[in-house]
Amino acid sequence: MSQARNASPAPPGAGADERWEREVRAPFVAQAPERRDPFTTQALKWPIKALYTPADLEACGFDYATDLGYPGEYPFTRGTQPNGHRSSLWTMSQVTGFGKGEDWARRARYMLAQGLQGLILEHDLPTTNGYDSDHPLVEGEVGRAGLAIDSLEDLVRAFDLPFEKLRYLMSVCNAPQPVNLAMIIAALEARGVDPRGFVVHIVNGILIEYTCVGRYIFPPAHGLRIATDCLEYIIRHHPNWAPISIISAQLQPAKANPVQELAFSMAIALAYLDATLARGLDIDTVAPYFHFVINVDMDFFEGICKLRAYRKVWARLMRERYGATRPQALRIRMMTSPTTVALTLQQPLNNIGRLAIMATACALGGAGEAMTTPLHDEAHALPAEEAIRVGAALQHIVAHETGVADTIDPLAGSYYVESLTKGIEEAAMAEIGRIEAMGGALAAIQSGYFQQALGREQYERNKDIEEGRRKWVGVNHLVVPGEKRQIEIFRADNRVEEEQVARLKELRARRDPAAVARGLARVREAAAGTDNLVPACLDAVRALATHGEICDAMRAVFGVHTPDSQLTGV
Amino acid sequence: MDLAAAVLAGQVAAGARLIRWLDDGDPRGRAALREIYPATGRAHIVGITGPPGAGKSTLVDILIAQERARGRRVAVLAVDPSSPFTGGAILGDRLRMSRHAVDPGVFIRSLGTRGGRGGLSRATYDATAVMDAMGYERIFVETVGVGQEEMDVTALAHSTVIVAVPGLGDEVQAMKAGLLEAGEILVLNKADRDGHAQTLRHLELLVHLRTGTQAADAWHTPLLSAVASRGEGAAAIVAALDAHREHLHRCGEFSLQSGRRSEQQFLAIAGARLRERLLELAPELRAQVRTQQLDPYTAAERLVAALPGPDP
Amino acid sequence: MSGARPLRVLLAKLGMDTHTVGITVVAHALREAGMEVIFTGLKQTPEAVASAAIQEDVDVVGVSSLSAGHTRSLPRLARLLREAGAADKLLVAGGVIPEEDVPLLEEAGYARIFTMGTDTRQIVAYLTAWGAARSGALQP
Repeated sequence: MSQARNASPAPPGAGADERWEREVRAPFVAQAPERRDPFTTQALKWPIKALYTPADLEACGFDYATDLGYPGEYPFTRGTQPNGHRSSLWTMSQVTGFGKGEDWARRARYMLAQGLQGLILEHDLPTTNGYDSDHPLVEGEVGRAGLAIDSLEDLVRAFDLPFEKLRYLMSVCNAPQPVNLAMIIAALEARGVDPRGFVVHIVNGILIEYTCVGRYIFPPAHGLRIATDCLEYIIRHHPNWAPISIISAQLQPAKANPVQELAFSMAIALAYLDATLARGLDIDTVAPYFHFVINVDMDFFEGICKLRAYRKVWARLMRERYGATRPQALRIRMMTSPTTVALTLQQPLNNIGRLAIMATACALGGAGEAMTTPLHDEAHALPAEEAIRVGAALQHIVAHETGVADTIDPLAGSYYVESLTKGIEEAAMAEIGRIEAMGGALAAIQSGYFQQALGREQYERNKDIEEGRRKWVGVNHLVVPGEKRQIEIFRADNRVEEEQVARLKELRARRDPAAVARGLARVREAAAGTDNLVPACLDAVRALATHGEICDAMRAVFGVHTPDSQLTGV
Repeated sequence: MDLAAAVLAGQVAAGARLIRWLDDGDPRGRAALREIYPATGRAHIVGITGPPGAGKSTLVDILIAQERARGRRVAVLAVDPSSPFTGGAILGDRLRMSRHAVDPGVFIRSLGTRGGRGGLSRATYDATAVMDAMGYERIFVETVGVGQEEMDVTALAHSTVIVAVPGLGDEVQAMKAGLLEAGEILVLNKADRDGHAQTLRHLELLVHLRTGTQAADAWHTPLLSAVASRGEGAAAIVAALDAHREHLHRCGEFSLQSGRRSEQQFLAIAGARLRERLLELAPELRAQVRTQQLDPYTAAERLVAALPGPDP
Repeated sequence: MSGARPLRVLLAKLGMDTHTVGITVVAHALREAGMEVIFTGLKQTPEAVASAAIQEDVDVVGVSSLSAGHTRSLPRLARLLREAGAADKLLVAGGVIPEEDVPLLEEAGYARIFTMGTDTRQIVAYLTAWGAARSGALQP
């Protein structure tokens, strides 16, 4: 290779790589066999080469301008914000939500006092499934997995909070979303809170529920209509709120690999987008409202590269498919999180280490607007107060003690990171194309395509662990036989159910039955027609119709969903 | 009370146990079957078949509700494929009928094909006999459509319902005219989906072509629409089933079919037994055929010639 | 694959919880081991599960509980099975069940509790051994 004296030498090419492999590495490996055969990434199971070099970038057609660009500019691979986390850090938040309204409020105040600025409100299973606390099916479940909200009054009690400290309130509800949204609006009014002062964020993510987790009520096409009603209502009436969150982070525990996670969640986003655009709104208005919750697993690089690929894929889809032009439409909004499924029941203190590693991966991949830490004994039961403190501190440690957030996208240019990012991007775009060809996410849900793909992954990944192909400390590696758990377990109050039932009885005796009947009739009418459901739910909610009653009104019109395959992959 | 008596008295636990014995080939099952067999031949056996994803189980669920509303006791056999390699199976059809789980007038039983062909288990015939003897008026047999082999369920059932879905244009073709002829009731499920009008026209054409070749008093296949997930269409299907049963009774076909079914099973079982016995009785002929010393036709003729003739 | 009769196992999820990953993995493992798995669906009541267990004449009833309602619904299921004369069926449970609740469930009639993360090969081995021992015991 001839070189001009004052130009830098050309990088080594594939020829040089081969020479090194042949003359240096291969002989070494002959004496020191590799400890895994083959080396593959954790979820995608793509082969991991011993070494990545400029030749790999050339092989995948990497080009800085088209693949990366600059932070805050298309295609946003290096970040959606011009200054990364140097101006402001991500919002730090945690999950909580259990018991009666007052219990949640007490715990929420504790969390805010510990330095958290965002709260995520999980509802109990009866509520997310559209039942009141006194429904025969829900015995033993009231207030356990989250907050029990049977009526507007329950939420008003829960909103006994220092709203000036709160930047952000997210409500996870999904199937009964319009009821929940109506209650939030009415409860804030009742508490005299100005809704423009902070962001209310509803998850409104029913389509993912049909593919995994399964908190749905109505058939998928109606679920999509309901979600679109909520989207449209917020865009028109509360434009500073966040009307949707695609929680890709639900797909990951169902064992979606990064390509599936990215492709399925994007296909689902496209379904919501198309439905909302059909209401007469345009892409530059609607796209900025979309928000993703993405988690990372323990494979450090899969996590980082997946986050980078998310930014690029969203930007490409908005521009190429919809012709969006506003930067806000092209910039993905996301919240990141370490996954709970990487945490183990065994040796729970190890989980603090795992969380730190995953939080670091989030920060390196670009943490987005907010990061949520699950807590180290979450492999087991709901969080205890000790664990909350540790979780909050962990984010501050990553942010202030490591330097990873002090420069933007520091791993860019790494031969491995760029190869893997591009690989994920291209595989995901191809899969999105396939899903669109079968009619889009709704069709894929109705045919069971997503569910079957996930079922296969679940079985295969479990086998990987049982057969030792994947080492998991505490589970199949460095196992401590007969270990005793020391972690403080949180137990929800058993009396919640009784108290909620009593409250319901008292409420029903006190309220105006004519107003309730009118409100429910309005809901049925809106459901049967094309009127937006949210105003009808507001009427019903203010008349003190209960959560279950309003959901039943919708069940009467939409029917209930029994899917072709509840057991994924069968 | 012994098991056969309990089955005839309609006790579910007893019927379930007998089906289990028959499915497992337990000799106790055979003895009990002998006792209850004279009580069979009354139930109306309805096959429900169609491609995967057609919503068959959800359809059966709403048909059960309709039958119960008419005060009838209903049994369901849900057959799913067993793994040819491990013999195991995941039988999940009953979950779509789970709201009937605690109704004492409904008996739902899942079977794996266990090596049986044509989407049916070898035990399916036996299981329908047990349910028949227990007094269920209608027995739904649900199987996965696997192509031409659906013929087996049509041999078992008095009335076969073919379930189609919109948008399966090519698959409807693939269902083949033969299958469509074998079904007595055609249901287009998920009628609220895109492509429904087109599929309906296609099916109408197929039905029309068939009707054109039939005699005036023959059964004319109705084409019905349903949206099983919303409970729509069940009443019309049950009415069609009642009408078909009437038709079969009127022209004497009902008991003829029951008879043919029993005979078919007899021939199949006897055939398998005889086969085993024949192989035992003719080791030299077998050896000669295997070493190509004798051609198969000649060997077969010699074997049959050596058997005693028909009864005088 | 021997000519032995396949073990019939009913898998059920009680209550409101709809996570299916754990039960999916177990169902597949049992099928790979040659068993027939009858899955009765999500959001089931103990009454519905008991009725299904009788109708399907299963050998084993396996319930999954992830949402902490187990201290009431699981014992009720065991009682219903006993009352229906099905006490000879093996009753097992799995999911997020704290150590301290295991004695209560064992007393209620659960032969084994497979806590979350139990190797499916262990579950298969346990059921297979139980099935073999029972057929052995039934031989005249």
